[in-house]
Amino acid sequence: MTLNRFLILLLPEITLTVVAFLVFILDLIIGGDEVRERRLQWFAFLGVLLALVATILIWPLAEAGGLPVAFDVGPGFGGDVVPMMTLDGLALFFKLITVLMLAIIILSAGEYVKVHTPFRGEFYAFVLLAGLSIMLASAATNLVMIYLSIEFLSITSYVLTGYLRDDVRSTEAAIKYFIYGAAASAVMLYGFSLLYGATGATGLVEIATALATGSVTLRWLVFPALVMVLAGLGFKIALVPFHQWSPDAYEGAPTPVTAFLSVGPKAAGFAVLIRFLIVALPAFQVNWSAMLAGVAILTMSLGNLIALWQTNVKRMLAYSSIAQAGYMLIGLAALAPLAESWTNGLNALLLYLFAYLFTNLGAFAVVIAVEDRTGSANLPDFSGLIRRSPFLAVSMLVFLLSLIGIPPTGGFMGKLFVFGAAVQRQMILLAVIGVLNSVISVYYYYKIMRPMLFERADDAEPIRVTPSMRLVVGFSLAMVLAIAIYAEPFIRLATESAQLLLAARF
Amino acid sequence: MDFFFNLAPLAILVPLLMFAAIILFTHPNNRLSSSLAIGGIAFSTIISWGIVLATILSGEHIWEETWQISIPWLPAGTSVLWIGLEVDSLTAAMLFMVPFVCMLIFIYSQGYMNLGKPNQDPRYSRFFAYISLFAAGMIGLVLSGSLLLLFIFWELMGLCSYLLIGFWSFRDRDTEDHIDEAQVKRARAAALKAFLTTRIGDVLLFSGMVLLWAYTGTLNFSEIFQPEVLEHLAEITIWGLPAATVIALLVFGGAVGKSAQFPLHVWLPDAMEGPTPVSALIHAATMVAAGVYLVARTYPLFVAGSVAGDGSVLAVVAVIGAITAFFGATIGLAQNDIKRVLAYSTISQLGYMMMALGIGAYVAAVFHLLTHAFFKALLFLGSGSVIHGVEHGHHEIAHHSDHHGDDDFNPNDMKTMGGLRHRMPRTFWTYIIGTLALVGWLPFAGFWSKDEILGEAFHLWREGGTFSLPLWVWLAGTLGALITALYMGRQIGLVFWGEPRHGAAEHAHESPHSMTTPLIVLAIFAVIGGLANLPSNVPLVGGELHHFIGEVHEVSEVVHSEALALNAIVAGLSTVLAVGGLIFGWAIYRNYRVGEVEPFQRWLGPVFTLLKNKYYVDELYRAVFIRPTVWLADISFRFDTGVIDYLVNLVGRVTRVVADFGGVFDAKVIDSTLVDGTGKVTNSFGGWLRQTQTGRVQNYVLVIAVTVLLLLGLYLYL
Repeated sequence: MTLNRFLILLLPEITLTVVAFLVFILDLIIGGDEVRERRLQWFAFLGVLLALVATILIWPLAEAGGLPVAFDVGPGFGGDVVPMMTLDGLALFFKLITVLMLAIIILSAGEYVKVHTPFRGEFYAFVLLAGLSIMLASAATNLVMIYLSIEFLSITSYVLTGYLRDDVRSTEAAIKYFIYGAAASAVMLYGFSLLYGATGATGLVEIATALATGSVTLRWLVFPALVMVLAGLGFKIALVPFHQWSPDAYEGAPTPVTAFLSVGPKAAGFAVLIRFLIVALPAFQVNWSAMLAGVAILTMSLGNLIALWQTNVKRMLAYSSIAQAGYMLIGLAALAPLAESWTNGLNALLLYLFAYLFTNLGAFAVVIAVEDRTGSANLPDFSGLIRRSPFLAVSMLVFLLSLIGIPPTGGFMGKLFVFGAAVQRQMILLAVIGVLNSVISVYYYYKIMRPMLFERADDAEPIRVTPSMRLVVGFSLAMVLAIAIYAEPFIRLATESAQLLLAARF
Repeated sequence: MDFFFNLAPLAILVPLLMFAAIILFTHPNNRLSSSLAIGGIAFSTIISWGIVLATILSGEHIWEETWQISIPWLPAGTSVLWIGLEVDSLTAAMLFMVPFVCMLIFIYSQGYMNLGKPNQDPRYSRFFAYISLFAAGMIGLVLSGSLLLLFIFWELMGLCSYLLIGFWSFRDRDTEDHIDEAQVKRARAAALKAFLTTRIGDVLLFSGMVLLWAYTGTLNFSEIFQPEVLEHLAEITIWGLPAATVIALLVFGGAVGKSAQFPLHVWLPDAMEGPTPVSALIHAATMVAAGVYLVARTYPLFVAGSVAGDGSVLAVVAVIGAITAFFGATIGLAQNDIKRVLAYSTISQLGYMMMALGIGAYVAAVFHLLTHAFFKALLFLGSGSVIHGVEHGHHEIAHHSDHHGDDDFNPNDMKTMGGLRHRMPRTFWTYIIGTLALVGWLPFAGFWSKDEILGEAFHLWREGGTFSLPLWVWLAGTLGALITALYMGRQIGLVFWGEPRHGAAEHAHESPHSMTTPLIVLAIFAVIGGLANLPSNVPLVGGELHHFIGEVHEVSEVVHSEALALNAIVAGLSTVLAVGGLIFGWAIYRNYRVGEVEPFQRWLGPVFTLLKNKYYVDELYRAVFIRPTVWLADISFRFDTGVIDYLVNLVGRVTRVVADFGGVFDAKVIDSTLVDGTGKVTNSFGGWLRQTQTGRVQNYVLVIAVTVLLLLGLYLYL
């Protein structure tokens, strides 16, 4: 592979890197100037759009089984090159998710960052770098690269969580997140090392090959490794029982960061988990499928049950997003790689994630808009929102309906596919518990709807919505509805992204 | 030519976008909002006329290979539901009329809602948003290439209809002191009535759709109308009837609701509570025609159903149409509200279209649909202009006399008008043109279209034998034409001639140009509209519409149509009736004075009372459907409070007696163990779950360690 081609394949990542560093530098130069600092937001947004264009440009280059991304250094540098990353449908799908997430978060953060912290420009740079790490993680095909990119993501996340330096809660959240993350990461690394010890390989494909050829005498090490890796990735996704950091971190973090945490690390965790399980351990599907089903049940139930008690909307959405990850996990647990039908589990997960991206970020955007005005995000702050800002209230209503899974919203399509996959694999219990959980969740989502629609506000003054916020909420709303109303292209996107990976490995 | 066809989706999307833009962004700026709405519909009109032109120019091919696009929409089990657009010449004929009439009405609305005046409607922008949404719905319905998409737009229009009929039920009483509570209530009731009544039809249509999908696996028109599919539908039976018959009847049920045919016609007159442009737009020119269009569009189904089942479906259509045409007209004779007369006239005219479809003259039906849209929109807008003028007159006298005048003044009451021809000349002349077109004077548009329906009926009667169905259709139509002439004569006599019967009429003003210009444009079409389809024996231009849309359904191999020559007997008779009736009605009503018993009432006596009360259909429905429902609800409620609650109380009492005996047992065992126990368990479970979230990160990390060790332990032991 020539250098040019190598660089082209990395175009989205390179774009984000360059823009992030430019933001750092520009922030140094113009720091302290309110008006010009505001432009950094738009600069970062522009960079994200460029990354989007780059992603679309390299879209046709993906190959079945993945195109290895490696630069042929020639014999002068010592021979073989181990490809660390791949370009396939899954990687592209997560690049798309990342770029869309970055765009939404950067646009919705403006007002919040301006009010809450004096360190503005570098905020966007960190968000961009976090996005970069997700892209790297979702394309990584080697344990080393996976570990590095996940750590990269963790470190940027810690920084972002503790971004409000003068706010005790923010700092505390960051420290907790850091300690927990360090422990989880250590466990995962231990799992990786066991796997390496057992197979003598770090590439996912090589691991699978080593396990398949039967020359591995330490095969019994695979299961402990699996458990430990799941602990590390479960921490990223916030699966029960590795979720405990999330409510504290979500509540303490600046709200735009909370929005990021509820989507970004989850997406990265799922991307790695999908690739790890499907590429490296397809032979152990029986084992991990059962384990994931158990974790999914725990995650859904616990997330929803504790969410019932919350009175702070940010914390409630934190538990809600734990539960949502549980629903998504059903898709992977019920993976039916060779099914000819409309859902094979993986496309269900991806479709769910795509809908969840817009739903959750849209909901958080509304929370940010309300918080900018009222100063906090407790349930009473949402009273009478329908009068104070009909646009925000109606949008929030749609987002909540989507989180519940009521048509015509994207969340409905996601749940339809996920539960459909479970039913198809005869995992009826899993599907039933999933549906029961959706019913439980109605109660706490309704707890947000009721004051929003039916109660009178003490402060009846209209809430001003900035144009960028309007754009974010409107776009998310449109997407949430579009995924249900014209589902076909989105289903195709998810199915095609999943298909190549499955076709190559099973 | 494909250029315009490929733009077809924009004709729907642009008004839809304008709706979104107004609702989301521009609503604080009224002028911008209405300009956006008008701009959007003007754009649609241009594209639509481009499509019409392209269809005409592309000649015969378009009938065999209609332009269509479709996209897979939703995976449904193993197959996929497709939605798409389709243009054939029937679509094109509708596209000529729909966006154009909408545009004129949009322009008119600017004046009617008093843009920039002190009494501008407080929900001005919202009004334009709604009518944009409506226009998108109607254009979409016409362009739909599948029953599914058609149904979606159909429901969208149902929603718009509901919102617009009830438009004045949300008037803000703080800013508008002249709004009376009664009107708000009436608007609410009317909106609800329209929604519920048409819903009956919608459910029928939906059931038809489901059956169609179940038996053929497709909802695309181009696939349904293949001869083999129709044959298949005619062969299989549901409850002893051919499937085609059942489906066609259900589809017709939908049309009956939407097009206000007997017995679901009751909502349309009440719908006049909406602003007048809405009455013109939805309840005269376009939406109510959707039912007729639906039948014309799915005509092969009807024919297939009829051939298979002894002509039953089309006969039903014809009979319902004839009944509606005749009885609708008679009710119009006895109404005092200027808009209600027109509403019943609309019902009656829609009946004409339905009966034309029922006897097989679907080209005549579409022709009448098109001409009627123009002249009925004209009449409604004209009546709106009259009401607007009278309202202003009323405001003026209220200002001068320093008190609110008579509070029960009704600007719609024809009997308080009079002599308006001098005060509102432009409105007057255009109104007269509309009247002549509706009544069917030569050479106005209505004459040609109505005459073609009657001619077809007459022709079929001559072929079919003495007491065949077409005879009754023809009789109903001809009598209906006479009555139409009578009520229109009464109306123009009362409104425009004689002396003003109220101060408001005396001070009425001509409406602004934004309102009268659309009237003039519509009047032109009301005059020349007949040219589209003159009888076939007129050289050069005869039977144009027949050539254009006659072959739309040829592919189904069941529908055939040919143009008829002018029949002198039919045309002569209906002309005599139209001229005589109009002049008679005008002559006896033009000098009517307030308080007099009106002539028709004098001559018809109790019959007039019957007509005035609309044959008591509303009362009948109230007695047969609404009362029993309320009664059932009441009974259920009483049963609930009387029996169930009694039982509950009884159980409670028994329990208490038992509890009195076993008080100690109760307190110790039942209460503290079972009842409180359940609560305690739930509570502690939730509390316990919450306690896992200690806030101490050491504990969290411990959980990781324990979990991993637990799983490993399980693995090792199992």
